[in-house]
Amino acid sequence: MIDINDINKARELLAGQVLHTPTILSPALSNLTGAEVYLKLENQQVTGSFKVRGSYVRMSSLSEAERGAGVIAASAGNHAQGVGYHAQRLGIPATIYMPASTPFTKVARTEALGATVILEGESVAESRILAMQAAEAEGKVFIHPYDDPHVIAGQGTATAELLEDVPDLDVIVVPIGGGGLAAGCCIAAVAHNPALEVVGAQADAYPSMYQAFKGEPPHGRGATIADGIAVKEPGEITTPILKAHMKGVTVVSEADIERAVQVFVDVQRLIVEGSGAVPLAVMLSEPKRFMGRKVGLMVSGGNIDSRLLSSVLMRGLVRDGRLAKLRISLIDMPGALATVAGIIGDKGGNIVDVLHQRMFRDVPVKEADVDIAIETIDADHVREIMAALEAAGFGTRLLSDMR
Amino acid sequence: MDSLNSSEPPVFADVQDAARQLLGWARRTPLLENTILNDTLGFRLIVKPECLQRTGSFKFRGAFNKISRIPEDMRAGGVVAFSSGNHAQGVAAAASLMGMKSTIIMPSDAPKAKIANTKALGGTVVLYDRKTESREEIGERLQKEQGAVLVKPYDEPLIIAGQGTIGLEIAEQVAEIDAKPDAVIVPAGGGGLISGTALAISGTLACPVYSAEPEAYDDHKRSLEAGSRLPVPDGAESICDALLAPIPGELTFSLNSRLLAGGLSVSDDEVLMAMKTAMLSLKIVVEPGGAVALASALTQKIDLRGKTVVVVCSGGNADPEMLSRALSM
Repeated sequence: MIDINDINKARELLAGQVLHTPTILSPALSNLTGAEVYLKLENQQVTGSFKVRGSYVRMSSLSEAERGAGVIAASAGNHAQGVGYHAQRLGIPATIYMPASTPFTKVARTEALGATVILEGESVAESRILAMQAAEAEGKVFIHPYDDPHVIAGQGTATAELLEDVPDLDVIVVPIGGGGLAAGCCIAAVAHNPALEVVGAQADAYPSMYQAFKGEPPHGRGATIADGIAVKEPGEITTPILKAHMKGVTVVSEADIERAVQVFVDVQRLIVEGSGAVPLAVMLSEPKRFMGRKVGLMVSGGNIDSRLLSSVLMRGLVRDGRLAKLRISLIDMPGALATVAGIIGDKGGNIVDVLHQRMFRDVPVKEADVDIAIETIDADHVREIMAALEAAGFGTRLLSDMR
Repeated sequence: MDSLNSSEPPVFADVQDAARQLLGWARRTPLLENTILNDTLGFRLIVKPECLQRTGSFKFRGAFNKISRIPEDMRAGGVVAFSSGNHAQGVAAAASLMGMKSTIIMPSDAPKAKIANTKALGGTVVLYDRKTESREEIGERLQKEQGAVLVKPYDEPLIIAGQGTIGLEIAEQVAEIDAKPDAVIVPAGGGGLISGTALAISGTLACPVYSAEPEAYDDHKRSLEAGSRLPVPDGAESICDALLAPIPGELTFSLNSRLLAGGLSVSDDEVLMAMKTAMLSLKIVVEPGGAVALASALTQKIDLRGKTVVVVCSGGNADPEMLSRALSM
């Protein structure tokens, strides 16, 4: 059994080894959701996620002989960073197994921490099996990402800090992958205040803990923006802890998670990875559940690929109607395009791109389509511009997605 | 400072007074650092992220310090400000919190998002035509007709003192993490933020404070070297839209010329790289003008090897297009 004493001991161990990350009140997110929202900024943690907490507690528990033999882990992401970072500082040789398809930047980032990376396996699950076999064969300790009492106690320190900084929270929302962070959260929360609710959330692409609660076999698959919690099998140790403390597991869609990453950037000016944005995604998709309450969101990490982040931001503009693409039918007469541009300008739209398709499109020779990208204020503004174009006789169709 | 409209430069005690005034209203933004980034850089980089402040920039501090002191009998007239950017949002938010109306005068070609953000914070936006109208005349009319109080963006003692609370917080917070800064670098536009911060640092850490600017708008750097206020040359351009003041403020420069160790400047590309580092390593969104001090540190415009530096990231109100541009660097 893991209890609050283990978390308290972990906190003593971690002092000076990882950051007591800030907890901030967010007036902007509070306004948006009608709740009082506090953010526990584990995206500011060393290596950009909470994972360094558990990995340190686990590795500092090793004997001299075990340290000398080295450790093995399997992860292409935050756990790899967490193990690599502390292994180097503790002088423990670390070997990290990653799937063969892992992008070079992730390999380089882990190697930069002094770890040896072995690219083997089709998936993280396969890499993990290979890593466990290697650990067995080579007499090394396998550092599990979540199913380990030391790791769970270590991750629980994040919640303990949050509750020290904001003692009177009504509810904490935490992402669930394998369940290490969430299990630690439950133990810390119930010890602090048995009435404190812990809401655990998963991405609907990988709802393995949700399924465990329902007694269904896990069947997570596919790509998710929340790759940090894309875990196919919930933990054997973590699952009973969550079942003892939570009524259920909440599941959010990819669109909700993407939107939450965008809202963090737009409204709070924070970079949060998909899995770290899952708690906000829960709030945004079920605002009534949290209205008027004092809510702590576990912002578990901030390691998002720059290209992915960039595309989330640009897609967000389109969704919000701040960037729109219109296909407009022109009568091919001199000045028609100028008239269209004039109407858009009068309505306050800013044209950023024009594609005139007279030559190549299957339209009557006296007509032509023009695709125009415009910067706009919001969805209503887009509709207003479209109405003005229609009123002037120009058939107009919205090509972009808009909410 | 007794008078709401004093024109005397503020002193250290005015900054302390502003800190009391802001208590419970402005966020005490945390200090951030990334130890792995520090190892790569070879110096300790500590960031004061005012992008996490209310309205996404430091401007709320000065605006609130001024607006919250307007006596009851003058509040009905509201406040007026000229700005299309962060000052507008800071003023609108501060006025709303005080139950006052705010009128923000913006050029009619101001970005729609900034107009919308200002309205969302409770401000009334009045647009003027840059070519045919004078914003000063519109402002004076509002002051006369409605009894509105003008809130200047930087050249005003209460504004400077309010922004200076950042310096007091830095001094307190570095002590909490056992850091002893060798230098503090602060963005400079009109010079309000940096003069207030330098005033606070002079009474606390007493370490050198440097201004940071875009290369094309390096009027503080050149003015500090010349010992007198020099304007920005005509036709200068920069992506740092928050820092495009044409000349250092009078009041602010009277402080800066005495308090600053020197001026640093960075290219737009260096700014974009700093924005990228802020997003990927520090996990914060910083706008171009907010990133000039960070850019100065990352490119070591002064020798920082083995040292500890604090940089102020003054705001985070960047368009997604600009953030994407930075991410593609």
